[in-house]
Amino acid sequence: MSLSLLRFALVGNPNCGKTALFNSLTGARAKVANYAGVTVEKRLGTLTGLGRPAELIDLPGTYSLYVASPDEQVARRVILGEMAGEAAPDVLVAVVDATNIKLGLRLVLELQALGLPMILALNLADAARRRGITIDTAMLSQQLGMPVVETVAVRKHGVAELQAALAECAANAGSRSGKLALPERGEAVEDLYARIDKVLAACVSAPSHAPAWQDKLDALVMHPVLGLVLLAAILLLMFQAVFAWAAPVMDAIDGGMGWLGETAGALLPAGILHDFVVDGLIAGVGGVLVFLPQIIILFAFILALEDSGYLPRAAFLLDRMMRGVGLSGRSFIPMLSSFACAVPGIMSTRSIADPKERLVTILTAPLMTCSARLPVYALVIGAFVPKQSVGGVFNLQGLTLFALYLAGIVSAALVAWLMRRRESAGHGFPLLLELPNYRWPNAYHFLLGLKERAWIFLSRVGTVILALSIVLWFLATYPHAPVDATLPAIEYSFAGMLGKVMQPLFEPLGFSWQMCIALIPAMAAREVAVSALATVYAVGGEDALGGALAHDWGLPVALAYLAWFVYAPQCLSTIAVVRRETNSLRATVIFTGYLFALAYFGALLVRQIAALWA
Amino acid sequence: MSHSATPLHLLPKGARATIVDIASHSHFGELDAQVTLRLKELGFLPGAVLQVIGFGLFGADPVAVRINGTKFGLRRSEAAKILTTLQPA
Repeated sequence: MSLSLLRFALVGNPNCGKTALFNSLTGARAKVANYAGVTVEKRLGTLTGLGRPAELIDLPGTYSLYVASPDEQVARRVILGEMAGEAAPDVLVAVVDATNIKLGLRLVLELQALGLPMILALNLADAARRRGITIDTAMLSQQLGMPVVETVAVRKHGVAELQAALAECAANAGSRSGKLALPERGEAVEDLYARIDKVLAACVSAPSHAPAWQDKLDALVMHPVLGLVLLAAILLLMFQAVFAWAAPVMDAIDGGMGWLGETAGALLPAGILHDFVVDGLIAGVGGVLVFLPQIIILFAFILALEDSGYLPRAAFLLDRMMRGVGLSGRSFIPMLSSFACAVPGIMSTRSIADPKERLVTILTAPLMTCSARLPVYALVIGAFVPKQSVGGVFNLQGLTLFALYLAGIVSAALVAWLMRRRESAGHGFPLLLELPNYRWPNAYHFLLGLKERAWIFLSRVGTVILALSIVLWFLATYPHAPVDATLPAIEYSFAGMLGKVMQPLFEPLGFSWQMCIALIPAMAAREVAVSALATVYAVGGEDALGGALAHDWGLPVALAYLAWFVYAPQCLSTIAVVRRETNSLRATVIFTGYLFALAYFGALLVRQIAALWA
Repeated sequence: MSHSATPLHLLPKGARATIVDIASHSHFGELDAQVTLRLKELGFLPGAVLQVIGFGLFGADPVAVRINGTKFGLRRSEAAKILTTLQPA
């Protein structure tokens, strides 16, 4: 008899260390959806060594099956088998933070009523022990009627025992199909908690207060004034790091690509193949690859802030301020993620309970300057803004970049305020934000997360960007210029023709046809604008391209181009994710339309003002 | 309900208090029962002891509390639903 695939699901409160446990159980073999939103997307991994094929699903953190925000609904629908084409899981692995056992057990008892086989993983057992919490797991197992295993997910401690428990379960459990019905809420919350108190009294002795350093840290981090100063300092450090620390590595990559281009150029005979490899492939891909260090640093900060438990505190501090524009502290996390990429940012809006606030957050989060805009900003700023220092501390280039970030943030605030101003003042949705214990980010899980994100970027370079570089090179090369040509060759090519068709529309903004061409592939990914410009100007290397731009564009036009990139929804994946998350064509059309309108008129305004001033 | 019940948002920083009731609040309209339920699910139940650990910048909003060893951030309007009696220090 061949055993069918057994499906395990990891369920637990937010911040119970579920994702780390998932990584430890499945190794780095997880299939993560294209966009690594924390656990918002379904993560699926293979479990080995259970004697039969088995897989593990990591669900979004949830407090309850009954009262649910959108991401809790995802968890509920998976557990109940309501997801299209998927049966309910065969076994539930409930994860409970051992330092926060009461809240975790409440969900466990609720899940138990579903009647599925269950295993309880008491996670963060080491932290619990350090606090003097002792848990009699045998007793707990007896009281709850399910296997209980102590784990320390970040150190693989107890993971082997958990694996053994899974294997035992796998030997007995049958695979099922179909849906489960959510039972009527049988008992009042008070009675449920009374039952938990009884269980805890029998198995747990806990002094149950957090270590003093946690409270001391909170006194600073959540201080109404000092906390905000600290937040500003962290954000400043983050953006400083993205630019200053990445520079040496970027120079090295740039130099390496330049060397590669020269070497390849010397080896290949002059002709089409030579031009294709040097001007198409190497210049195109290299122009984007150079931004990998910045993207890694940005994601490193966001991951570390997320893993340490800091982000909910920042949301707490900013809640009142964000309420001023009709949002809440919960919108802060999607907004911050959007500085890396709007796609995971928009997906993380599922933790916002208020549907209107969620919609406004989705529509405005892409105004945060994502990492794909950086290459374009860095190129144009490098070419047009002098490197002079301002007031001895700041650098004019850095300040310009800061102004671009600020333009996005201020615009998002204005748009959110406009969208919500007509609603009555009271929004009836609670904040109810858990402020989890501080934790040191674990190196293994941190690096695994970073690797996932770097990989997503690299695979884009290897696929979309590579393909677009080739297409662009073709468009910019054919048809060849006539022998007696007086103008640059590109003016006779398809790309030249296309740019000239578009150009009248962008005439008021001062965009040349080369600038127009670059906008087309940038719809697939903004950063491709850089390699597109490298192709149309037929130069490799960031410095050479900057020189070509400085020669060809005026400052007002360059600034208008930057303004265009602040607003334009130049990203098909963002538009697609807006469509999927709002499930509304109308919202998607409004999203795309308002941002293109802002981009056009913003660029127009910037050009006029800059022209007057210059 | 006791006569001396104080809503959570009026407690001073550092105060320890026992929850006596979760009251309804017009702010949440028809969602009020859901908000009450979620508060209870998170452990805000009559008899539970909480401690106020901090406030936001403007008008003591939001407020951070610890209950059952877990910290939560609540807005004034949510905190106003939680009626407490202050414990002697």
